[in-house]
Amino acid sequence: MISKKTSNAKKNGQGKPLLSRKDFFQIAGATGAAALFTQLITSGPLSPDAIQGIGGRSHAGEEGESKYRWCMAIDLSTCIGCQYCIWACQATNDVPDDDMRWNIGFPERTENGTDFFMTRPCLHCEEAPCVKVCPVGATWKRKDGIVAMDYKRCIGCRYCEVACPYDVRRFNWEASAPKKNPYQPTWGSPEIERRSRGVVEKCTFCDHRIDRGLALGLTPGVDREATPACVNICPVNARIFGDHNDPDSPLFKFVRENETFRLREDFGTEPAVHYVRPEKEDA
Amino acid sequence: MLNFNIAIPKDRREQAWWIWVGVLGVVLAVGVFGAIRVFVKGLHVTGLSDQVPWGLWITQDLSSIATGAGAFTFSAIVYLFRIKKYQPIARAAVFVGFLGYSSAMLALAMDIGRPDRFWHPLVYWNVHSVLWEITWCVILYSTVLVLEFLPIFFESKYFDRWPQIRKYGDLIHKASPVFAAIGLGLSLLHQSSLGATYGVLSGRAIWYKPSLPVMFILSAIAGGISMTLLLTMLVSKLNQRQIISRELQSDISRFAGYALLAYLYLKIWDWAATSYYSQSPGTTQALALLQSTTPYTQTFWWIEIVLGGVVPAIILLSNQLRKNDRYTMFALAAIIVGVTVNRWNVTLSGLIAPPQWSPGVIGRIFSASYLPTWNEIIVSLGIIAYALLAFSFGVRYLPIFPKDEQSAH
Repeated sequence: MISKKTSNAKKNGQGKPLLSRKDFFQIAGATGAAALFTQLITSGPLSPDAIQGIGGRSHAGEEGESKYRWCMAIDLSTCIGCQYCIWACQATNDVPDDDMRWNIGFPERTENGTDFFMTRPCLHCEEAPCVKVCPVGATWKRKDGIVAMDYKRCIGCRYCEVACPYDVRRFNWEASAPKKNPYQPTWGSPEIERRSRGVVEKCTFCDHRIDRGLALGLTPGVDREATPACVNICPVNARIFGDHNDPDSPLFKFVRENETFRLREDFGTEPAVHYVRPEKEDA
Repeated sequence: MLNFNIAIPKDRREQAWWIWVGVLGVVLAVGVFGAIRVFVKGLHVTGLSDQVPWGLWITQDLSSIATGAGAFTFSAIVYLFRIKKYQPIARAAVFVGFLGYSSAMLALAMDIGRPDRFWHPLVYWNVHSVLWEITWCVILYSTVLVLEFLPIFFESKYFDRWPQIRKYGDLIHKASPVFAAIGLGLSLLHQSSLGATYGVLSGRAIWYKPSLPVMFILSAIAGGISMTLLLTMLVSKLNQRQIISRELQSDISRFAGYALLAYLYLKIWDWAATSYYSQSPGTTQALALLQSTTPYTQTFWWIEIVLGGVVPAIILLSNQLRKNDRYTMFALAAIIVGVTVNRWNVTLSGLIAPPQWSPGVIGRIFSASYLPTWNEIIVSLGIIAYALLAFSFGVRYLPIFPKDEQSAH
């Protein structure tokens, strides 16, 4: 359209403007729309930084406080492999099925032949792949770093399981009929509602304890009532929990005093769980 | 002399039709039984696990959408770029597209844990999820397909008694260019986003590459054209009449050949750049694991590249071979098989060979496994039976194809 008009103007040599008013508005409009779109996807609610953008908005009241950054440390050199943390988690979070454990553990061996027990909860990644891919925002990131689940919103597509490189998510495959939980009451009593069939479940760092504890003025990681069940039950204190933003927290001190690593840092996921190698160098 | 004859004699046709419909009906009924069993018992009756959460149904979903891509391709060609000679096949393309997308949605409804919440992505938005974008696109595009198909439906004899409705059909048909433009945009988005579903996952080295979305849309164009033309040729053969002209048939075959060539070119470079000329630890480990524990390396080379790529490309681009209907139909079917196997291989490869995260060494040889159960298979077959039944009834009772070569307008 533009070329036709301009060439006509040239041909006629009548000194018509190079661009008609309509052309001008078309070009200006297209440029403006492109600029607006660029602006929208680089900053603002559609930008990669605003992961929670729209999805997280309706979780008001459960978002935690941004001044906290809840983290865990697991000392593989101290762990004795008793599996208490696994069972306490199953009792507290009411996970009756052993195939669906949120806190997973298995015997492992280092390259040098040292046996150890590898355990891991959800790593609550800073850049959680599962949060980015969830089509409905059912898995979302709280302000305090916890990767939370909204079981009422989850559609069970399992994209989060596909995206998570750490295999920490568990789909509820089978009907959750009144099945007896063999770990109750020996290892604890249920503190949250059992999930329905067809949703993806995961470790929450026992966020119900954190929220309630903070409301009561307790310190998660120090006061037992506000600390994840797996951390409380450990007979050798191999699991340490606390606020990474608080220099006085047991977690901060532990990470500062020990040489720690995180699982597959090359993925860029920034996990919130720090490990101490099974063979401690200063031992 | 080269063209084979699978036509059924006129006096046996009615009998053959009822046998065909009866067999498909039984398969469909068995599939419905399987679906009910899944809804009652839960997804644990499938072979899926937390390590391999996606399998046969997701493959079927991806393949149905890919082979339904003929709809947007031909709609864009005919109504947007106004290349009118392709008009006679446009209706069939839209119909096949609709069947592909509805099959995909059936497979998805089976696969998600809470099908009663299928509408959640429309209400709860996560604009950062490709799956959110795909859900929107697929729902919108299926609506476009229904609107594109409605006028054909209203043209059937049944609507003789309601001329008013037919008038609305004509009105919708007038808007075809608009639907073609919207359909093109939506398809370009979701067909490639389906590849991006895997391509954006930075935690899974074997998937994490920008070529996946582009390979998905190129293979979808090749597969979609092939499915539409193959079905058209089958109907031609069975009815002993040339539905579309041999010239048009030859043009479309060649078009499929070029689309396939573009796909193959990118595919070869993708392989060369990621696993021949370079080594990245994650990809190399995963490929080695796949080679030792699965047939996927073999099926990649022999089915995706040779059978589904090189061979049909040669047949469809050779002026001599393309004249032979038998070769052409073989080539089109081979493309469809290649695309389907590709969707399976892409889905399963990243799951079977998961990233290693334990600091120990025992897990280093871990590979997951997956085999669909009989329940999954009967549901899949049921969905295919649905599509074939709907296609058969459509061809029999609706003006999908031009009455004869000349009247194609």
